[in-house]
Amino acid sequence: MTTHVTPPQRRKFLFIILGGVGAAFTALAVWPVWRYLLPREKTGEDAKIPIAKADIPLGKAHFFSFRGQPAVVLQPAPGQFVAFSAVCTHLGCIIQWQPGKGECLCPCHAGRFGTDGQVLGGPPPKPLDSLPATVEGDQVLVG
Amino acid sequence: MNWKKQVIDFIETRLGIRDILEQNLTKYLLPRNINAWYTLGAVLLTLFMIQFATGILLLIYYVPNPAEAFQSVERIMNEVPFGWLMRTLHAVGANIIIIALLLHMLSVMFMASYKRPRELTWLSGFIILNLAFALCLTGYLLPWSQLSFWATTVATDAAGAIPLIGDDLVRFLRGGSMVNEATLGRFFALHVMGMPLMLGLLIGFHLFCVRRAGISRAPFGPDYQPREHPDHFEHEEHHDGIPFFPNYVIKDTAVICFFLAFFLAIVFFAPNLFFPESAFEPADPFVTPPGIKPEWYFLWAYQALKIFPSEIIGLGVQGAFMTFLALLPFIDRGAERRPFKRPLFLTCYALGILLFVGISIWGHYS
Ligand code: HEM
Ligand code: FES
Repeated sequence: MTTHVTPPQRRKFLFIILGGVGAAFTALAVWPVWRYLLPREKTGEDAKIPIAKADIPLGKAHFFSFRGQPAVVLQPAPGQFVAFSAVCTHLGCIIQWQPGKGECLCPCHAGRFGTDGQVLGGPPPKPLDSLPATVEGDQVLVG
Repeated sequence: MNWKKQVIDFIETRLGIRDILEQNLTKYLLPRNINAWYTLGAVLLTLFMIQFATGILLLIYYVPNPAEAFQSVERIMNEVPFGWLMRTLHAVGANIIIIALLLHMLSVMFMASYKRPRELTWLSGFIILNLAFALCLTGYLLPWSQLSFWATTVATDAAGAIPLIGDDLVRFLRGGSMVNEATLGRFFALHVMGMPLMLGLLIGFHLFCVRRAGISRAPFGPDYQPREHPDHFEHEEHHDGIPFFPNYVIKDTAVICFFLAFFLAIVFFAPNLFFPESAFEPADPFVTPPGIKPEWYFLWAYQALKIFPSEIIGLGVQGAFMTFLALLPFIDRGAERRPFKRPLFLTCYALGILLFVGISIWGHYS
């Protein structure tokens, strides 16, 4: 028995085969590039950040980098340490500490936050992300 | 599927892409006796694209600063996912490009395609070859390894043999009396911006020349007849030819795949083929490692400098040879292109290749 294959059938067959091989090779090439470009997790990512108590006097703020993001630690009352993200929940500006007023101000659209991170006024929709802070010896451990 | 047709029609009505495609694919006719050597240009385009892509990717993690360059390359190799792949592709790719460039040059030379009206195609190609050499030289310094540092020291030092301006030229190339931070700065700028830009423009010009003059008929077979090119512009037509698409595109693709297979075989199975020991130690300006040799494609020049009694004669001979090659189409002007009807040319060609290979091997073992 002879099977007859018409040119359009041949064309379709070749198209599918070549398309498949092409797609497979493209995927093989794209995968390494994608992995290469993905942001890389830093090792020690979940480690706690130690900050010397001496750096955080009463009523003052200390800004530091927490897992790649700006954060702040405060001592609102003697011996009480609180830490939260310094990224404003409105549009992502970095908040500032106002020692005179005892509150945080976002310079972009005047969002105001209390020492517990709660919104006191302005556009921010929710409180600052708070970070666990524990005292150990003469250090405050954040994380 | 109607929207697809609409988009295509929209573009077609405005830009007439179909016509351009037709003129350059199915209605673009190539000489009937075209052979596989004519695929090397397409191979080179592919290799250069890979080199561009991997180069840009390397730039993401590479730090062009003597204090950090070596570490940053180590990080690419050992920590960044697939960083080893990108770097090995880039470093091995440079060598494969040189191989393809040399083959391309030798094949168009053998078939005397450089002759009138294709002098400018040859000249632009020759400049591209030299630019590729310069890219390799500048790229070689970037990892800031012992190999980088000392190979660059030796290579830039050779310019010192030129009378009168030699010392100033060396200082200018290095941006100081020794290879240092300033050298890395200028080599980096040239390697990632200056020379790739020039290369892109030159490749564009080269392709324009090729397309405008038309592909040359291979000077083989009973039907081939040499002919004088007229005094005015004339595109070489091949009315009885084969279409570029799909006939020749298939051949291009096949040879590209062959080169990629060869390329990837080295990348995966012999990644250190082109990396000697000293490539794995950070640069130390106070310790010259023993037996620093240039890369294989510079061995001939390295050895030629040693053969002659004085460096200046060596440099002069090299310069004369390169100038001769650059101007070849203006020197060799007969209409005959069939290699076997040009005994003098054929002898020089064969001896030239033997000499290049011989001197390179000598340089390797000396
Ligand atoms: C846009 C184009 C290019 C960019 C952005 C680029 C970028 C880079 C970078 C960042 C490095 C340093 C990292 C490393 O050493 O692996 C490098 C190295 C290198 N590049 Fe390029 N490059 C380009 C084109 C080329 C071309 C066309 C060639 C040769 C024909 C070339 C040859 C080399 C060589 C030989 C090295 C040294 C490899 C080594 O020893 O590791 N590059 N390039
Ligand atoms: S970004 Fe902070 S108030 Fe708008």
